[in-house]
Formats: sequence, C-alpha cells, structure tokens
Amino acid sequence: MEQRTNSPYPRVDRPMLAVIGVLLVLSCVLFFASDRAHDWRYYQMVFQGEVAQKFGAERADAVTTGIQQIWVADLGRADRCITCHQATSWKGFEQADEPFRTHPVEPLQAHPVEKFGCTACHGGQGWAVDVLEAHGEVAHWEEPLLSETLGQAYSLTGNKGALIQMNCNICHRYDRETRGADAINLAKRLVDEKGCRACHTINNRGGRIGPDLTRVGEKAPEQYDYSRLSGQQTAFAWHVAHLKNPKALTTDSTMPNFGFNSEQAQALAMLVLSWRPADVPAAYLAGAPRTDTPTAEQIAEEERMRTGPGAWFVETGCVTCHSIQVYGVRSPAQIGPDLSNAVEDVQSRFGRTIDDFLAEPSGTMAVVLSRQIILTPEQKAVAIQKLREAFAIYQKQQAEKER
Amino acid sequence: MSLLTRVLKFRSAGKAGPAGVEPEEAPGVRPRLFWSLWPRSDRDAGDAVTSNFLLHWFPAKVSKSSMAWSYSFWLGTITAALFLLLTLSGLPLLFLYVPSVERAYQSVKDIEYVITFGRWLRAVHRVAAHAMVITVVLHLARVFFTGAYKNGIARNQQRQWNWVIGVVMLLLTLFLSFTGYLLPWDQLAFWAVTVGTNIASAIPGIGPTVRELLIGGRAIEQATLIRFYVLHIFFLPAGVGVLFAYHMWRVRKDGGLARADREEIAETPRDVAASPTKTYTLLGVARGTSPTVTARSLEAPGTSVNAVPDLMRRAMIATLGTIAVISILSVFIASPLEEPANALITPNPAKAPWYFLWLQEIVTDTTIHLGSFTINGAFIGGVVLPGLLIGLLTVWPWIDKSPRQVTGDWFPRERRTQNLVFIAVLVGILLLTYIGMELRGPYWEWFWPWEAWPTVPGRI
Repeated sequence: MEQRTNSPYPRVDRPMLAVIGVLLVLSCVLFFASDRAHDWRYYQMVFQGEVAQKFGAERADAVTTGIQQIWVADLGRADRCITCHQATSWKGFEQADEPFRTHPVEPLQAHPVEKFGCTACHGGQGWAVDVLEAHGEVAHWEEPLLSETLGQAYSLTGNKGALIQMNCNICHRYDRETRGADAINLAKRLVDEKGCRACHTINNRGGRIGPDLTRVGEKAPEQYDYSRLSGQQTAFAWHVAHLKNPKALTTDSTMPNFGFNSEQAQALAMLVLSWRPADVPAAYLAGAPRTDTPTAEQIAEEERMRTGPGAWFVETGCVTCHSIQVYGVRSPAQIGPDLSNAVEDVQSRFGRTIDDFLAEPSGTMAVVLSRQIILTPEQKAVAIQKLREAFAIYQKQQAEKER
Repeated sequence: MSLLTRVLKFRSAGKAGPAGVEPEEAPGVRPRLFWSLWPRSDRDAGDAVTSNFLLHWFPAKVSKSSMAWSYSFWLGTITAALFLLLTLSGLPLLFLYVPSVERAYQSVKDIEYVITFGRWLRAVHRVAAHAMVITVVLHLARVFFTGAYKNGIARNQQRQWNWVIGVVMLLLTLFLSFTGYLLPWDQLAFWAVTVGTNIASAIPGIGPTVRELLIGGRAIEQATLIRFYVLHIFFLPAGVGVLFAYHMWRVRKDGGLARADREEIAETPRDVAASPTKTYTLLGVARGTSPTVTARSLEAPGTSVNAVPDLMRRAMIATLGTIAVISILSVFIASPLEEPANALITPNPAKAPWYFLWLQEIVTDTTIHLGSFTINGAFIGGVVLPGLLIGLLTVWPWIDKSPRQVTGDWFPRERRTQNLVFIAVLVGILLLTYIGMELRGPYWEWFWPWEAWPTVPGRI
C-alpha cells in the first residue's frame, strides 16, 4: 500500500537514535547512583555492625536508617549530624571513636539537644549530610566544625578543643565566668586586668579611643588587612597575631603591646570573635544581667578617682594610659609612665621642659594629643599647673622616704 | 499493512455493533480536541491525522538539504529542547524552592543536600539554562551567516519578522536566566544582580526609575526576589512559549528553512507528470484511493523525504540527545551556592552573570577619570553599546541588500563584508567575556591564567 521514498536517513539515524537511547539509560544510572552515593549510607551500615557486635542483632535492627535530623524551630536550624553520629544518644559508646561516640551527658543537661541542636554549639553545616560539607570544611561556609583538629591546625597551646567555647560565649557573653569555658574565662580576666575598656567599648561600656568591640565578631573576614600577616589568612589568625603585636599588623596603631603569650592571645582572639549578636531568642541567653556590671570595688574606686584631687586627669582621659600615684589615680592600662614626676621625667626623656613638650609634643603623645585628646592652650596651662603641683607632692614624698 | 492499521481494523470491526450500523458520516472537519486510539470508522482514523498537532508542526515532505546536520546544526531544535528541559526540571523545583529572603537560601541548601535527585535537578536546570543562552546565540549566528532572515521565492514570506521575534526571544532568554540567577539568594546571586541592575540605572534621566521598577525598590530585597521569581516562573517562560509557537508557525508559513528556497531558486521548478504511484499515506491509516498530486521537482523522491518518519526521527535525535547530554553533564557539574546574601559584604571581585561580563568589562574600560571629570562607563558600556547592537540586529534584515539568490547559503561572497563584521563583533564579545570571566581578579585587576589570585580569607 504505502510507497516508501528511497530515504537515505534510516540507515544513519536509527543507530544514532539507539546510541542516544543508551546515553539516556546511562544518564539514569548515573543520576540514580550519584543520589545514592552519600557518606551517611556507609556510616549507618558500619554503625549497625558495631551495635550488632556490642548488643546483638536484635538491637542492631532497631537502629534508625535514612536521613535523621534535629529540627529546632526557635533557631531555624535543621541539624542532620545525627544521620552519621548515630551513637550520640546511645549508652555504651563513651570510649568509641568518632563518629560513633556517645555525647557527654553533662553539657546536654543544661542544653537539651532538642532546644539547641548540634551546630549552635559545635559549628559546622547542619544542612549537609556528607562529611566535608557537614563539617563546614568547604568554600563558602564560614562556620567550620570547632573541633580538636581545627584547634591543632591553629596550634592552640592550651586545650586543643577550646575553639567551641567561642560559641558558648555567644549566649554567655555577660557571664563573668562560664563553667567549662576556661579559655574564655582566662580572656575575660585579661580584659579586666589589662583594662581593655580604657580604650575600647565592650558590651556597650568603655572608652572610645579604640574601636568599639561589642560586635567585632561579625566583621567579615574580607574586611581585615592581611598584607602583613604570614601563615593562615583568617580573622582568627589575624586577631592572634594582632594581640601579640598590634603594630606589626597595623603600623599606625596606638594600641600598646601587652606581651601576651600564645595561650593568652589565642584565648583573647576567641573572646573577640565570640562578640557578635546572638541570633537566638532572648530565652536562650544565659541568666546573667544583660551587661557585665562592674563590681562594687570597681565602682567605689572609680568614684574616688573621679572626685579626688586627680579628678581633672580622669575627666580629660589621661588616666587611660597614665597613673598619677600621688593623687591616688590608677590607670587600668598603665601604658604610659606615671605622671606624678612628669616635670622631671619629661626633661630626662626628651630633654625639653614640660611646657615646651605639651606645646609641641612628639612620639605617641603627638598622635594622642592630635587625634584623641584635643586640648586648648588654656587646658594645657591647667595641665602644667596640675602636674607641677603633683611634682611638688612627689618631691615631698621622696624626701620623706629618704629620711 | 502496518501493525497500527491492523490493530485499528480489528478494533473497528469489533466496535461495529450487532446492527452493523456505521457511525454517521458528515462532511467537513470535525472539531475535536483529541483523536481516538480506537477509531470506529475510517473517518475516525482520518481524524487521527487531521487533528494531530505534531503532524502539522512539520510539513508532509521536507527537502534533504533542510535535513542536513551541517546546514542548521539543528540549533533551534536544540534550543527548544533545552526550553522543554528547563520547564520540566523547573516544575519540581517550584514545589521545593521558597521565594522569601529568610527561606530561599535554606530551601536551596535542602535541594542540594537532602531532596532526592535535588542536586541533579538543580544542576539540570542550571546547566540547561547556561546552555540555552549559548544555543540561542549560536542559532542567531547561524541564521545571520546563512542570511536566513531574507525572503526567498514564495509569496507572503515574512522571514524578517521572524528574525525580529527571534531577537526578542534572545532578550527574553537572557532575562529569564538573569531572573533565575537571583533566586538562590546567595552572595553570587545578590551581587551579580546588583551589578546587572546598576547598569540599568545608567540610562540618562530615567535610569534610576528603571532600576527601581526592576527591583521593586531602591535596594535588592524581598520585593526584588518576589518580582524576579514571578517573572522567572511565569511571565517570561509564558512569553517565550507564545513567541516560540509563533516562531514555529511563521517557519511553516514562510516555506520552511531558507535552505529550501535556495534550492527552488537554484533549479527552476518544473512540472513533473503526476505519477499514479505517487501517493501520500496518512500515517498508514488511510486506505483506498489516496490523493494523487502533481509533484514539483522539489518534491520528487530524489530531493525530498517524508517528514514522518525522517524529519521526526532527527528532531527526536536532537531533542533526546540534548536531554541525555545535559542530564549526564549535570551529574558531574556542581551548582555553586556561596554564602547567604549579605548587602554589607561585597565579594571582591563582584561579577555580573557571565553573559553580561563583556558589558561589565566595557563599563570598566570606558570609565575614565580625567582629573575631576569622570566619563560614565556604565552609560557607554551598559546603555549605548548594547542598545546600538540590539537595535542594529533587529533592523538588519532591512539593511541587508544582498540578492535573494544567496538566501540559505553559508558565507556567500555577496554577504562577505557583513558576515566578517558580524564575526568580528561576536569574537570581540567572546574575548571580552573571557577576559571578564577568567582574567579579572580582585578590584577588577588583570590576572593572567598562570597568576594565582589572592586567597580568600576565612573566619576561623
């Protein structure tokens, strides 16, 4: 019936269509396989084996399979870590190696897992279900797992697992001391001892000579200047190096070198990076008051200095760096020399009189008096007057001592 | 007798009923939405042909030269296949993606990590989208090089208008891709759209208004996301769909590919005596006396073949081949997803989508500071130049005065100059795109391929 045209095409095109059919089948195999190929399938198989070995086949059958997650609606976090870390809530794996170790009970009592999830404390990428992505050790994920391995990479001198304390302090930032967060506690003591607040505002309280540090932890890693930093280029590494020697990273910095050792610098860097707004509901924040209030002694001393004979120096801001022992004024930072004997001290240091020096200051004081504390000639006259009075008292004291 | 015919015969015999009454026959076409797989009469069987859309998409016969892979490279078919694939892969994504600034990034993460086949689906959608931009441009280049926007011999040809429709579809394709770029709401998306929409604000006078209209405010925010989303999933694809249908219809009305015209011009059509054996079969379902027609030389068995199955098979090869290739590539090409969008942190460098990078490159190259004067590069590179190119492209069929005999011919001598200019512009655009993609690093500084970019610092 049908007259076929003498077409040359079927001979070539039919095999081609067949090849494409094969390609389509191949593509199905490939995308099915790629969807099956996830690390968690392997780990779940291994865990079932471990359970079977320890507790028998019956309990091994009860091990949940498939992707598991802890959904914390309050935090907007879906943490799928337990897909592989299946032993976290099992008794009997306390001594096992990760990923099959039982989670220590004590931290979970105050931080129930259904309220906090995993990544709120540990870091990492809760959405992911493959090792590298989940541990956040991939590009474009800025919250890596705060593990001992990472601590080792930074050669932490103290506790190698201390980095996780950064996340403790997001909620516990107003605590004077947080149980279990030794590095953060050390850093908080250093902040008090070294008088960081003399220059920096921290938790909305403190001086304005240095940058406000209340939210410095959310500064983006790209926003630091790494040109003078060798080694790892991360915000954490930058802070450690900067705390050890500020001028080495920021040449025109007026921040003094406090001679922190590695452990102190690392602890302070952790504290600094933990200072970022907590995106958690208020109920999650630790019970301490929402600002770290000074102690009664601190308030009393400040009051005494403000009203005493050295009040002028406190008000003007000299106290940030200088103590004036004769007036009972104690600088929290004690970066500069005591001003009690400034009259003779300036002469011996610079070979100039105090009047001359204040009119035309040099060195650090040139920076401070041109940028941070601007004095009118009248105020400078007051300063000289007060310094001479202090020196008179100082000489009297020295004379008494000699006698 | 084909298998289908036999089956149909069997069915119609069974359905004849005890009284043996044939269904009523009436002249004229019966408007029916679907044709029956189990026709009860020859009439019903014939309807299978007359009301079959696919059989009317293509002509009954098609010239061998139009079939050739090396003439059209089937780029239009491949582009249509990509559009189909984009629609199909977009449908499941519609159920999974949440167009809100709070949830969008998270929903894409879920698609990537835990949705069954999610990563592959997203990769298919992305790879096909990039491929479609490429094939649309290649298709346009093919039509230009062969002068296929020119009218040949048949009456009422409007090829120039189909070319204009094509240019509009190119722009729609670019905008479709651009609107899709924003949806993951990551840094890459946010800043690419920032760069792209900032170029729009360089239009003199109305620029800021255009940008505001585009992004639904003065900053890229929720209003932008929902605007881009609705454009991306409905209005732009619908626009492409409607124009595509018209594009196809026009191809039929204009007598198929320009190549076919060329043949008719080349050999003067002569009447061939109607041969009693020359019949058209209608899918093998029509029996009895078939219409016998006077064949022209073009339709002689030597120069043309039946659209069914030869053209259909090739269309199938192009379509399924495209789907297979994209599907396999998508298993291996991971889709990027950077940090969540952050208006406060500008990645360095911030780049537009790759198909706009040649514009971004021109914008930076034409931004010149002379003392306190600044020549605004965004106006030249973002408005004047692309506007001029698109404008020229649109009206080119009316500017091209080459003889109609060269319609459907690759690189004819008569069109040498314009083809060379077109190649020069295309190569220039490709070169600038390559520079923008590969050779521009932080602060848009020049980095040779062997020079490493500065490392991007991390937080911890």
